[in-house]
Amino acid sequence: MAEVSLRHIKKVYPNSERTSKKGLFGRKKADDGARKASSLRITDEGVLAVPDFNLDIADREFVVFVGPSGCGKSTTLRMIAGLEEITDGELYIDGKLMNDVAPKDRDIAMVFQSYALYPHMTVRDNLAFPLKLRKMDKQTIDAKVNEAAETLGITEFLDRKPKALSGGQRQRVAIGRAIVREPKVLLMDEPLSNLDAKLRNQMRAEIIKLRKRIDSTFIYVTHDQTEAMTLGDRIVIMKDGEVQQVGTPQEVFEHPSNLFVAGFIGVPQMNFFDAELVRDGNAYSVHVGDAIVVPSAEKQARLAAQDVASQSITLGIRPEHISLASGDAATLVGTVDVSEMMGSSVHVHLDSLGQDVIVIVPTTEIEGPYQDHFFAGAKVEYAFGGNVIHMFSKDEQGTNLEF
Amino acid sequence: MDKQQTLAAERRNKAILSVVLAAICILWVLPVVAVVINSFKLNTFVKTDTFALPTSESWAGMANFVKGMTFGNYPFKSSVLYSVVITVLSTGLILVFCSMAAWYIARVDSLFCKALYFLCVFSMVVPFQMVMFTLSKTADVLKLNTPWTIPIVYLGFGAGLAIFMFVGFVKSIPLEIEEAAAIDGCGPVRTFFSVVLPMLKPTLISVGILEIMWVWNDYLLPVLVLDINKYRTIPIHIQYLKGSYGTVDLGATMALILLSIIPVIIFYLACQKHIIKGVAAGAVKG
Ligand SMILES: Nc1ncnc2c1ncn2[C@@H]1O[C@H](COP(=O)(O)OP(=O)(O)OP(=O)(O)O)[C@@H](O)[C@H]1O
Ligand SMILES: [Mg+2]
Repeated sequence: MAEVSLRHIKKVYPNSERTSKKGLFGRKKADDGARKASSLRITDEGVLAVPDFNLDIADREFVVFVGPSGCGKSTTLRMIAGLEEITDGELYIDGKLMNDVAPKDRDIAMVFQSYALYPHMTVRDNLAFPLKLRKMDKQTIDAKVNEAAETLGITEFLDRKPKALSGGQRQRVAIGRAIVREPKVLLMDEPLSNLDAKLRNQMRAEIIKLRKRIDSTFIYVTHDQTEAMTLGDRIVIMKDGEVQQVGTPQEVFEHPSNLFVAGFIGVPQMNFFDAELVRDGNAYSVHVGDAIVVPSAEKQARLAAQDVASQSITLGIRPEHISLASGDAATLVGTVDVSEMMGSSVHVHLDSLGQDVIVIVPTTEIEGPYQDHFFAGAKVEYAFGGNVIHMFSKDEQGTNLEF
Repeated sequence: MDKQQTLAAERRNKAILSVVLAAICILWVLPVVAVVINSFKLNTFVKTDTFALPTSESWAGMANFVKGMTFGNYPFKSSVLYSVVITVLSTGLILVFCSMAAWYIARVDSLFCKALYFLCVFSMVVPFQMVMFTLSKTADVLKLNTPWTIPIVYLGFGAGLAIFMFVGFVKSIPLEIEEAAAIDGCGPVRTFFSVVLPMLKPTLISVGILEIMWVWNDYLLPVLVLDINKYRTIPIHIQYLKGSYGTVDLGATMALILLSIIPVIIFYLACQKHIIKGVAAGAVKG
């Protein structure tokens, strides 16, 4: 129903106290300490929140913007919503230029982190409000409200005011208000971050179910990588206003484009080692500590295609890709610091090559109590194959050398 | 010091505080009590036994009320009518215009709005006596000297406090709610009336009460601006009870004062629940 295209979208928050007059009257926001602390580029014109954002979102796609706090996720979302003026660039929804279209005419709906329900209206009126404004007749409104309420399981609260609801129930109402209208694009700004862990998992599952039922295009903002991985068809990873990588959850997990993405996606975090990449003709090898790892043929081919020379690199290996093998060619040794029992696996923190290395050991591979093997100070040998390594340049960007 | 001692000290302090506050309360209520008592006494007893309860000898019944209302050559019901008209129109104007203005001031971050806001706050500290003479001239020229137009003058004088209180409250309303309204399909006007105004209800009530009490009781402004021969409000009417008769009929005066405070008290009691919430809501987040 709706494709969304962002072309060279740029956002500068003006320096002066006067904010742009857009939407209602423009918005005002006290800049708190956290905002000041984030690494912003402050230019003559003001705060450069988003320098150049390009993305094409397909019809009915579920796209997740993810990144650390202050990276411009909300800003981008709000520009799509029309709550924030677009400094430069073009926004298209369904092929129509939307830069100067009022929020109400964009056929979008938004779920706010703070729910933003109308406190003086009952849940029913909250849900019906956007429909009433579209001058639908009473019967249609009732039918749609009841249907949305049923979908979200809030039928029994329809006649209560928002203040008589729990956080999770309020969140459902907020989502309900967004979906009754069947908007072309459904925007969500960290809708689950005010909920406790259990409820968040439950709501996440419900959002997955919900998106199958409705035809809207979803754009979802979160700083939680688990939410991004589980919900998104595609993930947009951002840092300091710039897009680091766009891809399916599997792509960004398996082929992170740079160090930042590699570190951001996946829990526990990827392990990083200082290493040397050695090129010999079209053959590559990686020297880390005393071990030598040979990248898979596929990786070697890609490195050769990029004509990558011998150099110092940052080597990345995910904790789940490290095995506790002995006798393997590429073995490294570490001393156990702490080990955490997670149920199905044990997270072993090793002190190896002067840094913290995390290894995930499935419980099924451990005989007897895990403390017998991974007590503090125990020596552990570990290894990893050449097919799971990630090689990043040593410069500031830390780009993946395979790209 | 051990705990028990502090508790005892605390209790003692509370007792002292209660006594002091009670004394202040009595001082405060005394004039009202005097008005109530004396409005039922014969005129001659008002001066001599001011604080005595009416006795069978001094009891005047409803005579004072009847006298006060029928006194002189100006009909009391016109005074009531004009008082009501002026109070209702003024308060209405103040509530509607000041809440809108405050919303704009609170939401738009511009120098103009800052200036406007400080102008309003500043207007609260300018005493009325400083502007009253130029005002009465200006009001004559602009034809603001009738009960139907004087509310505009009240709007000017009431705007300072009202805008100050409304701005404080609007700032405590999360912006997201208005943004949600904008996305749901409201323009600014719709947003204001369907979303912001209902949320302002507690402040509307507290500002309303303050303005009603002020306008209803105000004497100086109408006396200076209105044409006294044509238009009198209740306070002016009460004032003329003594002017027109040489000697002061205190009994009748008290009776009319009592009549004029009854509506305010009823209104206040009816809205009391809201005013406390509203004042706190506006003040804390200001
Ligand atoms: N009104 C504003 N004026 C000036 N700078 C702003 C304003 N709003 C946001 N910014 C800046 O723009 C940057 C991006 O902010 P944004 O709210 O989009 O971050 P975010 O990715 O949503 O972060 P979070 O996860 O904390 O919500 C921030 O660094 C912030 O300091
Ligand atoms: Mg945000």
